[in-house]
Formats: sequence, C-alpha cells, structure tokens
Amino acid sequence: MSIIKVRDIKKVYNKDQVPVHALNGVDLDINEGEFTAIVGPSGSGKTTLLNVIGGLDEPTEGKVYIHDTDMFSLKERELIDFRLHHIGFVFQAYNLIPVLTAKENIAFILQMQGRPQKECNQRSMELLKMVGLEDKIDKRPSELSGGQQQRVAVARALSSKPDFVLADEPTANLDSASTANLLDMMLRLNEEENITFIFSTHDQRVVDRARRIVTLVDGRVDSDEERISNNEQVPNSRKN
Amino acid sequence: MKFWSILKLSWKNVWRNPTRSGVVILAVVLGTWAGIFSTGLMNGLSMQYITNQLETSVSHLQIHHPKYSEEYLPKYYLPNPDSLVKELTSYDFTQSVTARSVIQGLATSATNTFGVTVKGIDTETDSTVSNVHTYLAEGEYLSQSARNPVLIGDDLAKRLKLEVRSRLVINFQDVEGNITAGAFRVTGIFDTPNSAFDESTVFVNREDLNRLLGRKNTVHEIAIMVDNFKNADQYRDSLAHATNLEIRSWGDVSPSLRYTDSNVDFMLYIFMTIIAIALVFGIINTMLMAVLERTQELGMLMAIGVNRIRTFSMVMLETFFLTMVGVPVGMLLSWLTILWVGEVGIDLSAFAQGLEEYGMSTMIYPELPEGYFINIGLLMVVATLLAAIYPAIKALRLNPVQAIRKV
Ligand SMILES: Nc1ncnc2c1ncn2[C@@H]1O[C@H](COP(=O)(O)OP(=O)(O)OP(=O)(O)O)[C@@H](O)[C@H]1O
Ligand SMILES: [Mg+2]
Repeated sequence: MSIIKVRDIKKVYNKDQVPVHALNGVDLDINEGEFTAIVGPSGSGKTTLLNVIGGLDEPTEGKVYIHDTDMFSLKERELIDFRLHHIGFVFQAYNLIPVLTAKENIAFILQMQGRPQKECNQRSMELLKMVGLEDKIDKRPSELSGGQQQRVAVARALSSKPDFVLADEPTANLDSASTANLLDMMLRLNEEENITFIFSTHDQRVVDRARRIVTLVDGRVDSDEERISNNEQVPNSRKN
Repeated sequence: MKFWSILKLSWKNVWRNPTRSGVVILAVVLGTWAGIFSTGLMNGLSMQYITNQLETSVSHLQIHHPKYSEEYLPKYYLPNPDSLVKELTSYDFTQSVTARSVIQGLATSATNTFGVTVKGIDTETDSTVSNVHTYLAEGEYLSQSARNPVLIGDDLAKRLKLEVRSRLVINFQDVEGNITAGAFRVTGIFDTPNSAFDESTVFVNREDLNRLLGRKNTVHEIAIMVDNFKNADQYRDSLAHATNLEIRSWGDVSPSLRYTDSNVDFMLYIFMTIIAIALVFGIINTMLMAVLERTQELGMLMAIGVNRIRTFSMVMLETFFLTMVGVPVGMLLSWLTILWVGEVGIDLSAFAQGLEEYGMSTMIYPELPEGYFINIGLLMVVATLLAAIYPAIKALRLNPVQAIRKV
C-alpha cells in the first residue's frame, strides 16, 4: 500500500528572474516499509523533492498525498502540525538543540506533540535504546560524535511514530565507519520496526545498501530500481 | 506542558552564551539603576525645593480674612483667633499651628530703604511651623529680653547695610489706616536657601507689632503644617466647610510650587522613557544576534513541527528572562543607593553655585516613593518586552527550507 503519492510535481525557483526548474514533473509512489535512496548529480533536485514530500516547500505544480491527505491543501498551521505528527526528519546537520541533552532533545518534540511527561521520558529512553545510545542519555550534542548525533536525530525523527522518515544526506558529514553504523541501524529499524525511510545521498556505499534507488536527473526521475537483497539488483518494471 | 517545555528551553538558551546574556543583564541592571537613581535625585531635588519653601515661608495651609489677600491691609484681621487656633490644633492632621500678624512696610536703615513683609510671630509656636530659626547665620532668634527685636535675612542686611545690633525703622499702616512707624533692633540674621525670601521678609514679636498696630491680639494669618503636604488641598477642602474665612493650601499660595510638584512626575517619566528607549535598542541588537546566529537551529525546529507561536514565544521568553533577572537587581541596587545617598546626601556646591539663587540647597538627598519603583520596574519590563518583539518576529518569519539549506 503506498503511503506517499507524488503526482506530477514541478518546482520552479526564481520565477520572476531567471527561472530555475528544480523539478520537472516527478511522479513517485512510496510504499510502507520501503528503504529508498534518492540519488542523482548535484543540482538534480534531490533536496527539493524531499522538501516537497516533507511539506516544507510548496511545489509550483502537482500534488503530494500522504495516505489520503492532499498535503498542500492544508493551511500553514495544519501543515506544521501534520509534520509534527506524521513525518520524521533527519537533516545533514543542525538536527539537535545544542542546549538540550540527547534525551531532552527527543522528549522536547514529544512534549510538543502534547504527550504526558511520563510518556515523554519513557519513550525517549526507549528510542535511545533503539538507536544504541542508552549510555549517552545525558550528553549534550557537543559531547557526542557526528555519528552519535545523527543517531539521536533518527531517534528523534521516530518519536512520533511517523508515517515515514525523510533524511537529506544524513551521512554527508560522517566518516565511513559512522556511515556504516548509521546505515546498519536504519536498516535494522526498517526490518524490525517496519519503518519507511526515504533518504538522499551521494555516497555509493550508502546507495549500495538501499532497497530501492530512485535516480533524478535534471528534476526528472531517470530510473527507479528495486533490489531483493543488498547485493542483487533486478530490473524494475517502473523503470522509465 | 508544551508551554513549560518552551519555557525551560528558553531558560537554557539564555545561558548558552553566558557572556552575552551577562552583558544584556548588566545593561538592564545599569539602565534600571541609573534610571531609578537619577529619578530619585531629580525627585529629591524637587521635593527638597518644595519642602524648603513650605517650611521656611509658605507653610502647608494659610488662613486669612477673605479680603486680606486682595489688599494686604492691616484692618483685615481674623476674628476670634484664639478659639480658631485651638480648634485647628485639635485636628488629627494638623501638626503645628501658629498665629501671625502680618503687614507690608517700608524698612529704613541709616543708608537705604526697602519694602518688606513684616511678620509678627509667637516664637514658641512659630518655630514649629517655620524653620527660619535653623538658618540663623548671625546673632540670635527673636529674644524676649530685648526691646523690639527684629530678625532679618542676610540679603536685606546687605541691601540696607545692617548688622546685628543695628537699628531699623519700619513704616506701615495701623489697623485704623494711619501711618505709623516702629524702631527695631536687629538681633539675628538668617540665611535660607531662598534669596528672595531673605531679602523681603523680617520677623518681629507679634506683641511688639500689635502694639504698633494699635490693637491687642491682632492675627492676620494662621499658618498650619499638616501631616503630609501632598494632602494639603484635601485638608483645605475639609476645613472650608466649617468657616467663611479664606483657606489656602500651599499650592494656592504659590502656584509655581504647585506647578513644580505636578510636573515632577511628568519630567521623571519622560526621563525614564529616554533611558528605556536606549535600553530597547541595546536589547534589539543583542537578541537579533542571538536569533540570526541560530538560523539553522530555528529552521530545523520549525521544519520538524514547532509552530510559529511557540518559536515566537521562545525568543520572547529569552528576553523576558534577561529582564526578569536584570530589573529586580537594578531595582534593589537603586533602592539601596537611594537609601544610602539619601542619608549622606550629594554635595553639588562645587559645580552649582547658582542653585541657592533659586531657593535650592546645594546638598541633594535623593528620595523616591515606592510607587515610582513599581512603575519604573514595570516600564523597564514593558520596554524590554517591546524590544523582544522585533527579534522574535524575525525568528518566526524564518523560512525553514532556506534556513536549513544554509549549511
Ligand atoms: N531557494 C532556491 N532558489 C533558487 N534556486 C534553488 C533554490 N533551491 C534550490 N535551487 C536550485 O534548484 C536545483 C535543485 O537543487 P537541489 O538542492 O534540490 O539539488 P540537489 O540534488 O539536492 O543537489 P545536491 O546534491 O548538491 O544537494 C539546483 O539547480 C539549485 O540551484
Ligand atoms: Mg541536496
């Protein structure tokens, strides 16, 4: 069952001056439990696409449905609330609030969702355990490595039990060991908890471990392939 | 719960850059302190000026014959002064009451002549209403032993070239309207902060003056000090019901003093507002920096679903915390300073020699009623919150996509 339906999305920046066509009609369906990498050359529109799917950036044309919600028909306030409750975000950097500890960073967003204090505490502990950082609960971001920070970010993204997690180049600032660690963890969450991940990357080692690879070129889907296991590659019917 | 989380986060954000927050708090402390202290100083100066005038010459309430203040003629004396004084003394709000016979006369010395107001006083009660006896520069207060003693101001002494023991002749009308004259001997010279008063007022014993006026126990003026000069108008009105005599409060007697008193408030708040505005710009500047340097972080918060009201509140609260630390400290400091300097005083004689010409003392004792502290404190809180609005709006206008892209 597809949880995300992207329909003929076009995004033009700088309409008034020299227009930049970041997305030129993208159609995409994401199913529950998928582990999808968005790849493509720099400037091909990966970030723009993720921002549109995440409801952060309104497309010039086209629609995005999350389950049956036409996301951009929501009012701005509703959209922010929708993001809070339905979408998990992991960014390349600046994911965490520097003055809060790992646990507080997660609890904060749970509190924003209006959960009772007890649940916030329990769930943030649970989530930190899930990403293997139960011994770092009281550390501030500055006391954590880049890889650990990104794990906390993933835990935070999962806090609302979101429909899916969007991650724009989550490993771009990490060394290869941390990258592998983070990928392992994301894959495990995908398999064990059936969490849907959509992430963009430039890193071939990350691409190699994706289950589905959507390649963008010039703001269009150039290819869309699925893999059965991590190493085997099968041609996909949806290939353009 | 949600608000509480925002509150806690704001508090922690305040301390992420302790130096900057410290500087802002210090600015708020100094602004509040300087504002309140200098307000206290200005208020003290004005109050001193007013109370000085009231205590040396004007007093709080004056009672005269209804026609007296039109023409100042000796024939407009008060009927039954003794029972009136007795009655006035019995009220709770009166602190001291004295009766005077007052005439306008021409003072002549061996060298010169000058128009003066002659006050015939009962030294015992008058010294509880007027503090002229505390300003004695030479000689002694009106002594009962000497015949026709007169107390004059230093400025009149200069003008008429008089010294202690000099002779002074005063010409005036008696109660019948006949010209009469009396010879007096200077027993003391006073020097109050008010030169105009020192030049134009002389004191003699009421009995001596009445003898010359040709009528025993003549009283033209009853001067009253009440418990609080600010309430003089109110007391005047409550007394006015009982009598057809003319009762005037100090404000009626001296409209310029009343004007000074009522303008003090206004001046002080203008002054405070200027300080508050300076503070506002300082705070806008710092808080704007605090917002702009964490564009990404704020963008991230908005992206993951922290709505604009909460983002706005967070930045507002950060400023609010800085204020809430700074203002009370500033208020406490200024309160202590005013308390201390209010005791020892500040000597302005070095750079304010002209002050005395205007009836001001060169020692200033700052003072400020509690009401001002509260109002100024509130003013500071309001000012800083106003200052917080712009940076907070900046934060809430951030576009999360742009903010996050700026890696
Ligand atoms: N705010 C903007 N204003 C104008 N042009 C923009 C803006 N954001 C993106 N673009 C342009 O849109 C195109 C797509 O950008 P996007 O960031 O989506 O590419 P990307 O695939 O994520 O690239 P990278 O791999 O470098 O992150 C680029 O040509 C970019 O310059
Ligand atoms: Mg990108």
